[in-house]
Amino acid sequence: MIKAFLSIVAKELLDFLRSWGLVAVVLYSFTVDVYIAGSGMQIEPKNVSVGYVDYTGGGISQKILFHLHEPEFVAPKRFLSQKQLSEAIFNKEIMVGIVFDQDFEKNYRKHKKATIDVLLDATAASQSFITLSYLQNIVLNFSKLNIPIDIDIHKLFNPNSDERYFMALVELLSVVTMLSILLPAVVFVREKEEGTWDIMLLMPVDPKIVILAKSLSQIIIIMAGVVITVGLVLFSTFNIPMNGSFFAFLLLTFFYAFTSAGIGLFIASVSEGMMQTAQLSMLIMMPLIFLSGAWTPVYAMHPILEKLSLLSPLRYYIEGCESIFFRGTSFIDLWQYFAGVLVLGSVLYWYGFRKIGKLF
Amino acid sequence: MNIGVIKAYTLKEFKELMRTRMIFTVYALPLTILVLFGYGIRMEVTHSRILIIDNDQSKLSGELVEKFKHSKYFNTTEANISESKALKLIKQAKKDAIIIIPTSFEKRLIKAQKIDIAIFIDGSFPNRAHTIENYIESVIINYLQNYAQRYPTFSTNIIAINPRSLFNQAMRDEDAIVPGLIGLALFVSPAILTALLIVKEKEKGTIFNFYASSINKEDFLIAKLIPPFLLHSVSVLILFLIAVYLFRVPFRGSFALYWFSSELYVLVSLSVGLLVSIVTRSQIVALVLTVIITILPGFLYSGIILPISSMSRESYIEAHMFPVMYYNHIAYDTFLIGQGLSSKKIVLYLIILMGFACVLLNLGWFLLKKELKK
Repeated sequence: MIKAFLSIVAKELLDFLRSWGLVAVVLYSFTVDVYIAGSGMQIEPKNVSVGYVDYTGGGISQKILFHLHEPEFVAPKRFLSQKQLSEAIFNKEIMVGIVFDQDFEKNYRKHKKATIDVLLDATAASQSFITLSYLQNIVLNFSKLNIPIDIDIHKLFNPNSDERYFMALVELLSVVTMLSILLPAVVFVREKEEGTWDIMLLMPVDPKIVILAKSLSQIIIIMAGVVITVGLVLFSTFNIPMNGSFFAFLLLTFFYAFTSAGIGLFIASVSEGMMQTAQLSMLIMMPLIFLSGAWTPVYAMHPILEKLSLLSPLRYYIEGCESIFFRGTSFIDLWQYFAGVLVLGSVLYWYGFRKIGKLF
Repeated sequence: MNIGVIKAYTLKEFKELMRTRMIFTVYALPLTILVLFGYGIRMEVTHSRILIIDNDQSKLSGELVEKFKHSKYFNTTEANISESKALKLIKQAKKDAIIIIPTSFEKRLIKAQKIDIAIFIDGSFPNRAHTIENYIESVIINYLQNYAQRYPTFSTNIIAINPRSLFNQAMRDEDAIVPGLIGLALFVSPAILTALLIVKEKEKGTIFNFYASSINKEDFLIAKLIPPFLLHSVSVLILFLIAVYLFRVPFRGSFALYWFSSELYVLVSLSVGLLVSIVTRSQIVALVLTVIITILPGFLYSGIILPISSMSRESYIEAHMFPVMYYNHIAYDTFLIGQGLSSKKIVLYLIILMGFACVLLNLGWFLLKKELKK
């Protein structure tokens, strides 16, 4: 029993290592891909081009513009009329236009409500949103409230808002998801397509053992990749803090990979050939990767999708990893993530066993 | 070029695709991407879970709490627990932020003395933390502005910002996201469809039909491309209809430009998949490689969430190596702006897309061998 199990695992690992093309692609995804995503992606605005029209004499307005500086903004460019400014925004030369009308300074001096018109290029919505809030904060500092309020903001776990941490980690989790679904799926479907799967089932070995051994072999590959990424890219290059226990992370990754392999098993058992596997895995992977809470918090989504995301193992994995890496959550408080991943995994394997675990 | 041979070969390819019941999945993928992502991806962070600890329990502090409760951006709860207990809630990822109102809030506000409001935000998702921070700050400042206006003793100079978004007046998330998603969908699904077309024959050995027959390399490639191209020409239309009628994204540009650039872009995506199919030797490698080079770059470099202009170094360069950003610029223009060919940048990007198609197809033609590789 154990011997059969181990020899299947060894055979699959050997199979993997012999396909140097596959090894190269997997290594690339675990190293270069994560590195690139982490090194240059930024969600916060940088080099935002600002144009302005100033119908006032230019006292207060210049003071406000003075606050728009590098690295977030390029030095504001002056336009003579609002029409010229709009044209520049149409041509995407300028992303944010500011208009100070004639009454602006008068109202400001008279303690009335002074208004600035801001034109935003909303085709770049994320930047527009954040730029607007930057502007709001600059202007709020100008609205001299006589109330000396001190808003004392502490950003926990990632005080400098280093986005490299986040991007690199999310990229890693996406790569883990893709590979741990795809690799098992193709391992099973290839045998199915070539007809060797039926032979496998005829052998005097419990099909469950075969399925588990095959999944495990692919999970070992994933785990090796994860260790390489975490060591080489996350810790050495990006200096990502590890506030929780590394062991918990590895354990969660192992369970998660098992569940994803279950998804792969599911795909393999319902599809007839490689083409279908390709299409189906895309169909399942893409919503998993992008709608599990990394890009948009689950609670901000459409209510139906919010419920559906409970079915995504990646939802638990992302939250769990964020908790382990940044929040340093204690092991006991992670139980829900482990539970979520394990429950989904068991259901998938149960289905897989039933569907392709027997010949007739 | 031999039209008769191409015709026959195309027919064979088409039948093969149909027989594998691909017709369903071919359209399911772009549809799923557009519909699910269109409803799922949001720029605004709404319903952030915040906890307010009101140590003052006065009328004025109550008003501030009310302000938070009425905002759609927050799901506010109020509790009287210790700070360390509250921090533990953040640690367990049950709350996104905690606001602590000090004991003498009302007294100090009336006397215009210094008030410290402490805010703790979960920084695990930096962008989200940043957005939540800004929302909280503006709620508090807004509250104080209102307060100051009620009591003229505080002479204040108030500046209000009146934002007007061009092209997307209501700042609807759908308008900002859906055109970009079309670029993602039309990159991923054509590529995955062609990725296995040739390598499948290599694995099964049917590639010898090609080696042995008199068909040219270019005829072979054309015949392989035509069926997926026709199938995905229909998705171009389907995606357009969904964007305009389901998501109600305005369409301000010319449909001809949208149609032409999308067809061109589909051709580019198909060639990406075909090239993968030509260079790889086994279906597994082809599949994994296509997934890696399409899904994540297609999303990250599409400009939906991360604007290309604020990327730096490696990412900036890599973004320019993928066709997604060029097509998406055109897609956003045809939907929201409508400048069309009068903009030089769009003409340039169209030329770049053509360049992509030419280079990829020629490279594929060059690398495709009509004999057995040793």
